[in-house]
Amino acid sequence: MSKIAIDAASRGNTATSTMSKKRRSKNSATDNLTGFLFVSPWLICFLVFTAIPMVISLWLAFTDYDLLGSWSFVGLDNFKRMFFVDKRYMSSIVATLKYVVIAVPLRLAFALAVAMLLNNYRRGITLYRAAYYAPSVVGGSIAVAVMWRQIFGTQGAINALLAIVGIQGPSWFGNPATAIWTLIIMAAWQFGSPMLIFLAGLRQIPKELYEAAAIDGANGWHSFWRVTFPLLTPIIFFNLIMQTIHGLRAFTQAFIITEGRPLDSTLFYALYLYQRAFVTFHMGYASAMAWVLLLVIGLVTAINFKLSSLWVHYETSEV
Amino acid sequence: MRTKFFTLFCIVLVAGLLAACAIPPATPLPGEATEASAPTEKPTEEATDAPTVEAAPEPVELSILWWGSDKRHEITQQVLNMYTAENPHVTFAPEYSSWSDYWTVSNTKAAGGELPCIMQQDYAYLNEWTSRELLMSLNEFIDSGTLDMSDVPADFLAGGTIDGNVYAIPLGVNAQAFIIEKNVFGEAGLDIPQPDWTWDDFEVLAGEIKDKTGIWAQGADLPAEAMWKSLYLAYGEWAFNEDGTALGYENDEPLIAYMKMIKRLQEIGALPTAEEGTEYSGAGPEASPLVLGKAAMDYRWSNQVVAVVNAAGKGREFVLVPLPRPVDGKQPSVYIKPASFFAITSTCKAPEEAARFISYFTNSLEANEVLAAERGVPIAAQVRDGLKEKMDPVTGMTFDFIALVQEDASPLPPPDPAGWGDIRTNVWTPIFVDPVLYGQITIEEGVKVLRREADAILAQNKR
Amino acid sequence: MSATISTSTGKTSVFRQPTNKQIKGWLQTLAYHLSVAGLGFMMLYPLFWMIASSLKPQAEIWTTVSSLIPSSIHFENYLNGWKGFGGNSFTVFYKNSFIFAGVGTLFTVVSSTIVAYAFGRVKFFGKEILFSLMLMTMMLPNQVLIIPQYIIFHKLGWINTFLPLLVPRLGGGAFFIFMIVQFIRGIPRDLDEAAMIDGAGRSRIFFSVILPQLTPALVTSAIFSFYWTWDDFMDPLIYLNKPQLYTVSLALRSFADESGGSDWGAIFAMLTLSLIPVFLIFVFFQRYLVEGISTTGLKG
Repeated sequence: MSKIAIDAASRGNTATSTMSKKRRSKNSATDNLTGFLFVSPWLICFLVFTAIPMVISLWLAFTDYDLLGSWSFVGLDNFKRMFFVDKRYMSSIVATLKYVVIAVPLRLAFALAVAMLLNNYRRGITLYRAAYYAPSVVGGSIAVAVMWRQIFGTQGAINALLAIVGIQGPSWFGNPATAIWTLIIMAAWQFGSPMLIFLAGLRQIPKELYEAAAIDGANGWHSFWRVTFPLLTPIIFFNLIMQTIHGLRAFTQAFIITEGRPLDSTLFYALYLYQRAFVTFHMGYASAMAWVLLLVIGLVTAINFKLSSLWVHYETSEV
Repeated sequence: MRTKFFTLFCIVLVAGLLAACAIPPATPLPGEATEASAPTEKPTEEATDAPTVEAAPEPVELSILWWGSDKRHEITQQVLNMYTAENPHVTFAPEYSSWSDYWTVSNTKAAGGELPCIMQQDYAYLNEWTSRELLMSLNEFIDSGTLDMSDVPADFLAGGTIDGNVYAIPLGVNAQAFIIEKNVFGEAGLDIPQPDWTWDDFEVLAGEIKDKTGIWAQGADLPAEAMWKSLYLAYGEWAFNEDGTALGYENDEPLIAYMKMIKRLQEIGALPTAEEGTEYSGAGPEASPLVLGKAAMDYRWSNQVVAVVNAAGKGREFVLVPLPRPVDGKQPSVYIKPASFFAITSTCKAPEEAARFISYFTNSLEANEVLAAERGVPIAAQVRDGLKEKMDPVTGMTFDFIALVQEDASPLPPPDPAGWGDIRTNVWTPIFVDPVLYGQITIEEGVKVLRREADAILAQNKR
Repeated sequence: MSATISTSTGKTSVFRQPTNKQIKGWLQTLAYHLSVAGLGFMMLYPLFWMIASSLKPQAEIWTTVSSLIPSSIHFENYLNGWKGFGGNSFTVFYKNSFIFAGVGTLFTVVSSTIVAYAFGRVKFFGKEILFSLMLMTMMLPNQVLIIPQYIIFHKLGWINTFLPLLVPRLGGGAFFIFMIVQFIRGIPRDLDEAAMIDGAGRSRIFFSVILPQLTPALVTSAIFSFYWTWDDFMDPLIYLNKPQLYTVSLALRSFADESGGSDWGAIFAMLTLSLIPVFLIFVFFQRYLVEGISTTGLKG
């Protein structure tokens, strides 16, 4: 770890802790008031527009609500069915986990690498940034679905490239083993949003730290590990959390491109949930699925937060 | 009933929270509470009011919801304007979306008790909606002549009829067809099949196409759930029993034989393999192997030939042929199906006016000239005849095709039972077709799984 | 891969090149541009493909799907597309989208910043629980919230207005709040403490110390918020039930139907046009990611 960074950190921390202790004893009532005042816009909107629907969906998870009218309380039936009967549910878990475990690190690595590549003042940098951000803007539109099918088609661009090196490319969409890779590669290719966040994070790192590191004789690689990485950890952590959540909730790409096929190998959890909710009228079941997902994401996020103390470096010590 | 309780529950929660938090919107709370309780009483009030509406030509606004593409939005809006010009007291609040968004939005509206007056409906969901009393029986309006169906063949109306009640009026009809590229057949020296051809004929033809042209005989959609139903229709049976509580056939052999044929043709390269098929399935008529020149035929609904011709470009000719039938079948596989419906929802405040509009939509030649059979061939005989000459050649082809099929078609089976969406989404493709075609299970195992799972879903209709 | 990248970044942006190695520097610049531009072309392929499709004649879009060069240029796809459908042109849809995305972004960014300041800097009762609740809102799939939310807005009489789309944004967005919190926590406390010793109150610290440091984060938020709002079709679909209220994204969805018969040339033309505002916002705001603002007041 960087000596400089740690110095900066410990200075910040000690100052913080002594100061805030002093203040807390003096005017914690004011702080409570200020805190709630600043938080109130979110809190009010949350209570009115989100909390109630969430409670209702939790309640529906224990019913067989069918969207168009009737419901009755069914206890834990939805959950039993999910874990012990429904094979498609298991397929959706497998597909989603595979996607998250591979796509999230890939996407973050790409995003960070490109952000560093584009964090300079060269001529034309705006153009490059726009170019690398572009794929994320076309997002989940119908054009992307058509184009992606074409690129990964049996006679598509990818297989044409592979043919040059003498490899007979597979039927990417047709093969249950490769279909999910088309979505993983797409996720890696649409790295624009984490890239921009990294770029903003890199902007925040004071140049003086790099200069100081250079005086200490650090080269590019060293200065990355001694300055960039530690100071960027809050942002890396944020991106990791958000991309994991985003990955576990992935929907659009599978919805417009593969529809879960073949053999449910690309049946994302959220896609299956959507089908249950709006195609087959099992809103109760879908609500149960949603709350299981919430618990899983919550658990993963909590673990991430716990582990974060091991590697994430904050300028301030409090949560 | 339950929906109302559900909304009430929401309101109480909102009101409670608003009061508890005493946040700014709390001021209009009393007014809101009274307003909130009012809707629960409304339907009964209106039910008693309804008859009086017809007497006075009071201004009414009919909300109307449909799905489709830009062309349909444009022409339907034109017809709404024409109707308002003729009946100034009726105005419309139209709303439209694509098929994939349509059910999200209409289900949400249904759950919120806020359905439009007139909505487009589909054969596959009709039972689902009527069984929940969301649609209104139109018998009363047909009897009174408000909804004039005198020019419509009874067969065509049957598709929207459940237990003797007409719930929905077809907006047009179509039939399953093989779209065949004439040029490809001509160059290979093959004859266009006869309307009464069999699956055996098809298999021979497919082999010849493969040998002589090197392209596939067919696109990827042969293992479709609609084909399953047609297959049993040819034996005088149907995929479901009469009350929709179980599968409607005992003998799995026809389905087994059909799937075996598909596998044989895949092996000789006359059909796309399972993997290749997945690439093209659900791609829509424009991106089908037929349009791309990779197949000589494509299995579609007859009205989709218009999209195929437009996407294929000039210099390519297509012809429609009815579905093949099994050699030992009793009747044709093909039937005439309502492409989509207009239905009046049970919350509609002016059903009389809505029925009058649907009647106009069905019987007015002027309106149908604008609509141009985009929703399928019109159901009223005079409209159909009057329209035929005025259509472009491709749409005219669909008219001729319907006329041809009508001569020798199986009677229209009843609308799909509730749970059909479930079977189609959760059973047919993921645990029957895909595992069988990818070789994970045998065909014989597959049909057993299909029967078991489909029966389990349909059994819920017994309640 | 990351090794070479970090090297080039380090050298170019941080260390001064010695003049006697200028040639090596030029070569590096050339290599940089070649590789970045080459990779950039691959990234941009979809855009080129879409623009090409928007100029193709109707019958060519699908039959020559992999070709980037139309046989003849058809600008009328743009004119046909702009006319819209059902009596509403894209002028109407753009107006609606600008209301939704513009006001929505303003609400989101301003509120998120205010809320994030409390979560990032103020110690108050129940903060951890509220923060966890906020994270939780991001974890539940929206699909199960649509109907209860629809009923609430329906009872408020807000259907067919922009209120259900805009008012909830007054509470900020969980994603943005969390992101800005992370940025705030990266700002050294010394600055706050110094200001506090000078007698500055919470709001003065927020405006004069924290806010200037947050520019990169706010710019990023604005870019994302605008794009996500512009692109969102689900909320407009559920709440804007009149065609004259449709946004661009919803209009584009309503344009194409799976059963076929859509004017695909016009669809791709309108899709291409719909990206322009998003790009303009990006180009306008990303300048603030180029100019280093954040280093002021920090001594390494």
